[in-house]
Amino acid sequence: MSRSRYPVWLILAVAVALLWTFLPMYWVVKYAFMTKSEIARFPPELYPHAPQLAAFYNIFGFDYTAADGTVFPASGQANQIMLGLRNSLLVSAIVTIVTMVVVLPLAYVFARMDFPFKGKMLAAVLLSVSLPPVSTLIPFYTLYVQLGLVGTLGGLVIITLTITIPIVAWLLIGFFKNLPPIEAMGRIDGFSRLYIFVRIIVPMAKSGILVAGVIGFLFSWNEYVYAQVLVTGSDAVTLPAAMSGFLFQVPEPAQLAASLFLSLLPPFFIAFFLQKHVAEMNFA
Amino acid sequence: MTGIKTTRRQAVAMLLGATALAAGGLPARAEDLAASSGETVYFRGWQFRTDVVQGNVDRYNSEMGGNVDYATVTGDYPSIMEKTLIAKGDLDVLYANPSSAVRYMGGGWVKPASELPNGQEIADAMYPNIREAWSVDGKLLGLSYFVTTRGAMLVNMKAVEKAGMTAADLPTTWDEFYDAVYKMHEAGIENPFLPHWFAEYFGVSWGFVFEVMNRGGQVADPETHAPVLTADGPAGDTLRAWKKLWKSGIIPEEVLSYNEAGYIDAFRSGRYAFSPQQLYDIKTFNDPAQSADIAGSVTLLSAEKQSWGLIDSALYVMTNRKRSAALESDVEKFVSWYGYKDQDGTFAVANRWLEENMLFSAYKPVMESDAARDSVSKSLMKPEDYDTVLDVYASAPYPKSIWNVVWSEEFNFWLRDKLFEFLQNDLAPEDVIDAANAEMERLNKRYNI
Amino acid sequence: MPSLPQTAGADPAAAAAAARPPRRKELSNLQFALVVTVPVLLFLLVVVAYPLGYALYLSFHEIRFFGGYSAEFVGLANYKAALADPKFWRSLGLSLRFTVETVVLTIGIGLALALVLRDLKPRWRWLRAMIILPWAVSPYGAGIFFAYFGRGQTGIGTALISAFGFDGTLNLITQAAVIEYLALGAAWNMAPLVAFFLLANMLTTPKRLYDLAKIDRMRSYETFWHVTLPPLRFTLFVFTCISTVLALKTFDYIFTETQGGPGNSSTVLTYLLYQISFVNLDLGYGAAMSFFLLALILGTTGLIYALWGRREERK
Repeated sequence: MSRSRYPVWLILAVAVALLWTFLPMYWVVKYAFMTKSEIARFPPELYPHAPQLAAFYNIFGFDYTAADGTVFPASGQANQIMLGLRNSLLVSAIVTIVTMVVVLPLAYVFARMDFPFKGKMLAAVLLSVSLPPVSTLIPFYTLYVQLGLVGTLGGLVIITLTITIPIVAWLLIGFFKNLPPIEAMGRIDGFSRLYIFVRIIVPMAKSGILVAGVIGFLFSWNEYVYAQVLVTGSDAVTLPAAMSGFLFQVPEPAQLAASLFLSLLPPFFIAFFLQKHVAEMNFA
Repeated sequence: MTGIKTTRRQAVAMLLGATALAAGGLPARAEDLAASSGETVYFRGWQFRTDVVQGNVDRYNSEMGGNVDYATVTGDYPSIMEKTLIAKGDLDVLYANPSSAVRYMGGGWVKPASELPNGQEIADAMYPNIREAWSVDGKLLGLSYFVTTRGAMLVNMKAVEKAGMTAADLPTTWDEFYDAVYKMHEAGIENPFLPHWFAEYFGVSWGFVFEVMNRGGQVADPETHAPVLTADGPAGDTLRAWKKLWKSGIIPEEVLSYNEAGYIDAFRSGRYAFSPQQLYDIKTFNDPAQSADIAGSVTLLSAEKQSWGLIDSALYVMTNRKRSAALESDVEKFVSWYGYKDQDGTFAVANRWLEENMLFSAYKPVMESDAARDSVSKSLMKPEDYDTVLDVYASAPYPKSIWNVVWSEEFNFWLRDKLFEFLQNDLAPEDVIDAANAEMERLNKRYNI
Repeated sequence: MPSLPQTAGADPAAAAAAARPPRRKELSNLQFALVVTVPVLLFLLVVVAYPLGYALYLSFHEIRFFGGYSAEFVGLANYKAALADPKFWRSLGLSLRFTVETVVLTIGIGLALALVLRDLKPRWRWLRAMIILPWAVSPYGAGIFFAYFGRGQTGIGTALISAFGFDGTLNLITQAAVIEYLALGAAWNMAPLVAFFLLANMLTTPKRLYDLAKIDRMRSYETFWHVTLPPLRFTLFVFTCISTVLALKTFDYIFTETQGGPGNSSTVLTYLLYQISFVNLDLGYGAAMSFFLLALILGTTGLIYALWGRREERK
């Protein structure tokens, strides 16, 4: 790895990787800056000829007047987009925190201790990863109706936890397994198990834990199937459910693209963060 | 001009079997419509011009002291609403297509509009054919949101002229239509036709139903719901025409995966000469701000020889969940204000829909006003199209035989799948027709009809 | 598999050692494990068991909502009906095809991306952050991206051929290859995450191993096979499992991208289930069929574990 110049194949490969990464996103995000006519044009336009920000104003509930006097009316979905943004942030934050608090000790125990029934208990945790949302949707809905949880953030948090806990546990168990056997040392020094965990293991595993947290956050942030049924049309609507209003019935590709773009921003910032920690997150 | 207008309007009124009498009833007084319970009325709809709806609701809330909570429900609307109804969730007034409304009625979740204090007056203000379409066992299911024609055959004159044809060459029946499509293709238009084959629940299956009805056929008996499709009748003709069209390769396959947004945008691009679309969308297609490439050149096929499309409509339906007496009365007041007349006695909401989006109403007074004519005319390619629009609207059939029955949506989904299979797996038209008849019989049996 | 010491661990350990060790009554391993795991297990069991139990109940009944609600016990009729339904087998086939392709593409592309990113010099490391971005896109959003990207009307294919002066369209969402196109999009979505975990493995593979490979005059593919790949195997195994499960469960991505189309060409099992249970309200039949899907998911992951995971764990 100590060659001073990049070989041609690597430069090409990086270029291909970047194209592969950005082209599909660009293809739709460009609509956010185009007019309806431009978007509909055939053959498709490669870029906005007169980029404008109308869609971003519209999805936040503002009219936008273009230079030529055309008025782009505010979207009636604006309320829900803003509510959705707030709720999505809230739900994802709560889910992430709860997931981490619960999963950290769990993963630690499964990764580094031996005790009876370990295999069976682990299987029980992982079973819930396997449940396809389409088959539990109706039962969940019925349960939620009885408990009064339809259209509430709390209900959504609970259901999202059933997705994040097993996935994050799965990843963290692998990660903890790979840490050096520090406990023995700590035990010899007479530390309590909890102390070792909180003061030694957690700081050692910081990067991996943060990365796992990010993964939990994204699973929650991107959840759509349950949200579509449980919170659509309520004050607890989340961003993906609110956004899907642009997808059906009347075409509003510009506003759809603008809100998709918006929904990508928080995860993008997080992705940058993830990249910084990449060298330290050896899970295997 | 004025003369034509009057006779046309009268002609339409007669076509619809309307009486010349204006709807009766005095304007309601404000206190009759003011909310009093202090409880929340939950109003849900699909996503269409939510800005307009929100504006209307805001007006009710501020002028009538209402406490109406409005939100859109996105995604698979009819299914999600059905779940809410089953669960008796927080829902008082909702949008519904007639077929869904009939199903909800069958589930026992609906409070019919006939039970409103002014229910009779509301029913009397509607065109009789639409009132009948919206009724089950003599009960009116809801109030008028809109009535339009889905499948009005819109024409992009630019493309037509490019193929060397003129307005005089435009077809007037489905058979002529297919001939014209092939002729245009030979004249160098690569994709003359965007058929109603998209993937929504109101896509390909409705496309089949309206073509059968436009050709003079029926899918089932309107009263007994017994299947009546025949391979040598309109249904067979429709399927054979579809097969030929599909095999000719001039229909882009991707139509079969479009949602409605994709379907509208595809026609908006100007790539196609013909497409059966929502009648009111002629307004968006002729609007330079929204459809620069075809604006001002979109007209529609005449309904002189046969109808085009079918009546697509939606109602405001009340649920019958348990409510306090005060809230019950608030719901009635709100739905009457919103779906009928406001405190000034005007059809404020219906008029606004006509003005903003060319959504037609079931109420005679709304449709027969001068304001209606003005607003519609603005959206058309040429003034004469106004008459065609009203003709197409007035002559569109309503598939009562398969919509006003509890299995409506189930059959609709079955039909959608079967038609896709027919196209993609090259089934024989006779087999599809036999299977469709058998499926309707099975459903009749299952629901004891 | 070499377990590598992590330098980050030294400092907190030292700091902790300096602090005064608090002394308390100790829990046994089992007690500690129970305290930590039982509440979580109970939560998951309650939240997951109820829907599962309810689905089980539904699967033995015929549920009707119209003409009055009724639930009639029908025994195994729903399960038998599912097995006799050609649509079920067709959708099952599509699900498997989608899953196999998605997993292969996800792992393959993930590995390729990791190899590309590994050799970047510090000045270009920010590119790593760029490449991860698709993973931040929701499956729902990815479906929208790839719908517009692939359609002949709006997509890249038509844009390209028209840029080269050809008329006509190039549509990527076709009856013949829609599953492949969907799998490609799913891999686009998931591969960057795989790439990052693999990259983390690669960066901790000691350089001396590569130096040894050079001394042995290994060819580049031999280096890849004998030096690069071995430390990645556990990660590859984990992600094969994860992406298998996710691919079999995929619904929203297909819902927004093709609606199961064109026609019925991408009506995978989850989509069929959605139509049966959610749209047609045939709850009993849908529930019975969903147990076949659940069995498929458990069976597939079990199989992967038996064939591959066991070996990895023993190392």
